[in-house]
Amino acid sequence: MASQGSVTAALRVAEVLESIANRCVGPEGGQVLCTKPTGEVLLSRDGGCLLEALHLEHPLARMIVACVSSHLKKTGDGAKTFIIFLCHLLRGLHAIGEKGKDSFTSENIQSHERHWKNCCQWKSISQALQTFQTQTLGCIVDRSLSRHYLSVFSSSTEGRKLCRHSLELLLEAYFCGRVGRNNHRFISQLMCDYVFKCMACESGVEVFELLDHCFAELNVGVTGLPVSDSRIIDGLVLPRDFSMYCPADGDIRMVIVTEILQPQFSSAGSEFVLNSETQFQASQCWITDRTKTVMNHLRGQNVKLLLTSVKQPDLVIYCARLNSISVVECLSAEEVSLVQRITGLSPCVLPEVASQCEISDSTLVKFCKPLILRSKRYVHLGLISTCAFIPHSMVLCGPVLGLVEQHERAFHGAFKMLRQLFTDLDLNYIIQTKQQCNPSPLAYDNSRERNHSPETDKYQDIVAKSKNKLETQTHLEVYSGLGASDTELRAGKPWSAHKKTPIAPSQTDEMLKCLPPERSGIIDNCDLSIENHSTGNPTAEDTGTEISFEHLQVSDNAGKGYTLPVMRKSLDTCTCQGYCSSTVPAGCVLPVGGSFEILMSYYLLSYAKQCRQSDETVISMLIADALLGIPKILYKPKKGKDSFPHIYMRSLHALQASQPMVSGQSGFESVAGKYQLLTSVLQCLMKILTIDLIINIKRQPQKTADQESEDEF
Amino acid sequence: MSRLEAKKPSLCKTEPLTSEKVRSTLSVLKGVIASCYGPSGRLKQLHNGLGGCVYTTSQSSALLRNLSVTHPVLKILTSSVQNHVSCFSDCGLFTAILCCNLIENIQRLDLTPATAIKLNKYLLSLCTSYLKSEACSCRIPVDFRSTHTFLSLVHSILTSKPACMLTRKETDHIGALILKAFLLTIPESTEERMVLGKSIIVPLKGQRVTDSTVLPGLLIEASEVQLRRLLPTQKASGLRVALFCTSLSGDFSNAGEGVVVAHYQVSLENAVLEQLLNLGRRLVTDHVDLVLCQKVIHPSLKQFFSERHVMAIDRVGVTLMESLSKVTGATPIGSLNPIVSTTYGSVKDVCSARFGSKHFFHLLPNEATVCTLLLCSRNDTAWEELKLTCQTAMHVLQLTIKEPWVLLGGGCTETHLAAYVRHKVHHEAEAIVRDDGCTQAKLHVAAEAFCSALESVAGSLEHDGGEILIDTKYGHLWSCQADSASVGNWSDTLSRCGCGLYNSQEELSWSVLRSTYHPFAPQTCLPQAALGSASNLTVDCFTAKLSGLQVAVETANLILDLSYVIEDKN
Repeated sequence: MASQGSVTAALRVAEVLESIANRCVGPEGGQVLCTKPTGEVLLSRDGGCLLEALHLEHPLARMIVACVSSHLKKTGDGAKTFIIFLCHLLRGLHAIGEKGKDSFTSENIQSHERHWKNCCQWKSISQALQTFQTQTLGCIVDRSLSRHYLSVFSSSTEGRKLCRHSLELLLEAYFCGRVGRNNHRFISQLMCDYVFKCMACESGVEVFELLDHCFAELNVGVTGLPVSDSRIIDGLVLPRDFSMYCPADGDIRMVIVTEILQPQFSSAGSEFVLNSETQFQASQCWITDRTKTVMNHLRGQNVKLLLTSVKQPDLVIYCARLNSISVVECLSAEEVSLVQRITGLSPCVLPEVASQCEISDSTLVKFCKPLILRSKRYVHLGLISTCAFIPHSMVLCGPVLGLVEQHERAFHGAFKMLRQLFTDLDLNYIIQTKQQCNPSPLAYDNSRERNHSPETDKYQDIVAKSKNKLETQTHLEVYSGLGASDTELRAGKPWSAHKKTPIAPSQTDEMLKCLPPERSGIIDNCDLSIENHSTGNPTAEDTGTEISFEHLQVSDNAGKGYTLPVMRKSLDTCTCQGYCSSTVPAGCVLPVGGSFEILMSYYLLSYAKQCRQSDETVISMLIADALLGIPKILYKPKKGKDSFPHIYMRSLHALQASQPMVSGQSGFESVAGKYQLLTSVLQCLMKILTIDLIINIKRQPQKTADQESEDEF
Repeated sequence: MSRLEAKKPSLCKTEPLTSEKVRSTLSVLKGVIASCYGPSGRLKQLHNGLGGCVYTTSQSSALLRNLSVTHPVLKILTSSVQNHVSCFSDCGLFTAILCCNLIENIQRLDLTPATAIKLNKYLLSLCTSYLKSEACSCRIPVDFRSTHTFLSLVHSILTSKPACMLTRKETDHIGALILKAFLLTIPESTEERMVLGKSIIVPLKGQRVTDSTVLPGLLIEASEVQLRRLLPTQKASGLRVALFCTSLSGDFSNAGEGVVVAHYQVSLENAVLEQLLNLGRRLVTDHVDLVLCQKVIHPSLKQFFSERHVMAIDRVGVTLMESLSKVTGATPIGSLNPIVSTTYGSVKDVCSARFGSKHFFHLLPNEATVCTLLLCSRNDTAWEELKLTCQTAMHVLQLTIKEPWVLLGGGCTETHLAAYVRHKVHHEAEAIVRDDGCTQAKLHVAAEAFCSALESVAGSLEHDGGEILIDTKYGHLWSCQADSASVGNWSDTLSRCGCGLYNSQEELSWSVLRSTYHPFAPQTCLPQAALGSASNLTVDCFTAKLSGLQVAVETANLILDLSYVIEDKN
């Protein structure tokens, strides 16, 4: 049995998923309760979890779910938005297909032939999408969207510093979509405190990396208490009791062992021959003495805490007691590796302990004591960190296990998100090469004409535009005053620095001369294309910005006192052949509530207007329209002035007048995350479009596909 | 090779609470739970069709453990209550009823879940901050100089569990025993961090409840033969005790991963026995009088000990080890070879004791915080219930030491809180709405739902068709008999309020709880005079009730927030 894989089929699937996602997305979304076959109950607002729990049967649906989970693995956010966006894209494509169908029907061809023809069309669209995604999308983000970036860092003279207020806003927006509305504020506060307590220095990607890896070991779930009892505890909490606890004060040294400290009669692969009873007794005595010596030696080295990954015999525990050494047994491999990462301590090897020399692999701990949570005992260690992470544990409380687990997963996702936010995201795109490859002779002529225009004119033009931009600047400053947010102020500052850089024609000229001839040609083309852009665009400021970027870039190369570290660093690389690589700098955020989508769609539309290739126009229009679907859903429950059409119109006016956009909600979201979401969805769509036939195999699934299944047709 | 099977798709349901089926099962569950509540609550008989004993109970922990709930929404509710009970032992029924009431009441309203949750959360914070404030008049500080409050607390717990089948005299007896056992676990010397001891409950079925008793130290069950060997000790200074956690049976455990080859002439048994006897000789020379072993002692070694008048008790079990170590002060020994003398402990005396048909070794400590509560009851099911109740009471006493407050019981706290919230919302609606950004009408509706949920928890205390009233001065609960309720002259029949703090002598006016009454400001700040006069109050554990309130509202919010239920059908 085979069914046609078409946009229509995919759309049908996606629409079902969308209807589920719609109810859970955004701040007004509800919780989902999943039951497992074992009878466990799981609460979730995480789209990924939800989709997996559905156990979908339809092959296309399963493919979509696989795409979503691979996206989640990378970014930890955006599953529901993924589905909604994908659905809107498919809807757009479907509409295009419907339009095309009329022409086909007039030709009166066979239905399956039409299908093949359709498939070819989809295939070509998929290829166009691929080109668009790899070559153009990055450019739009880098060139146009970047001017709206805000940052969670406050740049000061000593370097970047994480701004608490911005982080709070960012986390609140994140948790708003991930945990129940009952608790999201509390949880985001808790997370914010946790992050600041754990970070030794103010910018630590490695901290988030560690948290992402080891959060399972760093949190303790307690059921039966209200969520508000959750708290942060200094040090590390291990979910087991001491095998032997001896209260100690002063210097507490700790060692980790991974083997049994008591010597055994025989080791693996060897044989122990007993010849007499006295020999046996002597061996027993020797073993006991040996164990005692080892423990005495540990004591002599001031070791008061022994962590072991294996269960130790009674004798070892007894000797530990006699030497007042506390023992924690049966640490998991993850816990051992976490302790190692924090303290830099490696496990002791037995020969080293046994020999009477000094033990090098020991470290000091601040304290070690039992901790009682809900009448269960835990081991509480005050490890001294040697890395950027200051160990703190999170005690997560909740009335039911499902809720505790939900919070744990949400935290984990948040660490993923932060980790990604704190790393630069590379953008690769082809810089404006369409001028050269543009087949339209008219346009080419046009650009040639411009090339001939006198240089001096151009510079005057620039000066005029930079005046224009002064106005933009004032707007920004007014905005930052109103917003009263540190970030916004800081976001404003670089602009002012930017502005005051005098654009001396002579200097630019010089720089241009320095460049190889073909390069300058490219830059010229660039500028010209922007000129073109401006004619199709009501805002003159856009052009101004673009041009001054170019110049700034040049002056930066020349090593002038140009202070725009974080936000504009991205623009300083330009490789040959028009290939451009740049980054979304770490810490870039946009206001939450559809800002990214509205901005992107605005820039995509304006790109479409000045674009001459029909394919690109179609695709950018398609993506632009689909993007708007997300804010539409977010603002659905709002009425009156806050409804989507109002917000959208206001944003458009603001953009056209170059005023800052006013967002209905407070909170931030990561630009890098959003951009990755966009590309992931496009990749998923491409995959869907390339499928033309779905073949249903009625056979038990096998682990290895060892034979061809031709007979199954 | 395992067969792979394709997973069946899950079942996805929208808006679970709107379905009629869920509502009806929820109300059935509520009916079951609410009918158990309070001293006059009805008992439930649990029995398994496949066999096993029949269990009569009215406690939430026993009830919910045995109820098999299938709907996921109810599962959330029950597991949340069970988790609460495992943390605090008390107030499980209160939590469950309140949670059901809240869900039902809010379902009836025309509020979006988001608004309802926000308002519920606000109202909860109003309650908790009031209960924690000094002005709260349903909270009584615990007076450590007398046992009044503690006794009232234990008494309230015992009377609210009718399945224990205690008479008034038995209740007093058990109440006193529980308090005595609890006091024995408090260490005399106060260090910076007080560690409470342990009281171990030993069952003795078939005896009268009044035969129950509390003993200091530990009871270890033994056969009559063993006891006969016990010789009267002549020592005045107490007995020296060695406590072993390792096996003394001569097994060979540390052979390692390789192969151990023994020559055919070599008898390992003899070698090991030789070692054991060496150990025995060492113990004898160290003047040890009592050897306790967690595991098994070799019969020859036992024989050796009894010849030298050393008592040996083996197979004590791991559960008793910690208490034994505490009672004797000995360190569990994990080695057969040279023993350090500091690891020995001591007891004052060991004697044999016989209770009913059972024989015990009784270890009398010199000074320790371990005691044994010998609990008697006529039949199994009543004993189980009584044991649970005693554990609850002990736990509650511990919680009360940590937070030295008790709440007024008998439903008075609930009605008082409801009156307080009503008053607060009525008078400060504008300010509340200004901060929260929703309309006043919505606030009033939600507050009404919240308060009536609280009040109907109090109302669940009445099972005999009587009328529940609230006075308009203190906001306490008063109940009157079913027969007089119809007549309408309540004030003559009322004598004391639910908790027993106030009597009807004062000039009070009443209103029926189910009807709406005009919001009034319940009197805050407890009058000291009233406290002094009333000795027999009904009081509840502060910590457990506060947490129960929070958990109930949180769970209700959680359930109200559900927009999908996905059931995995695999």
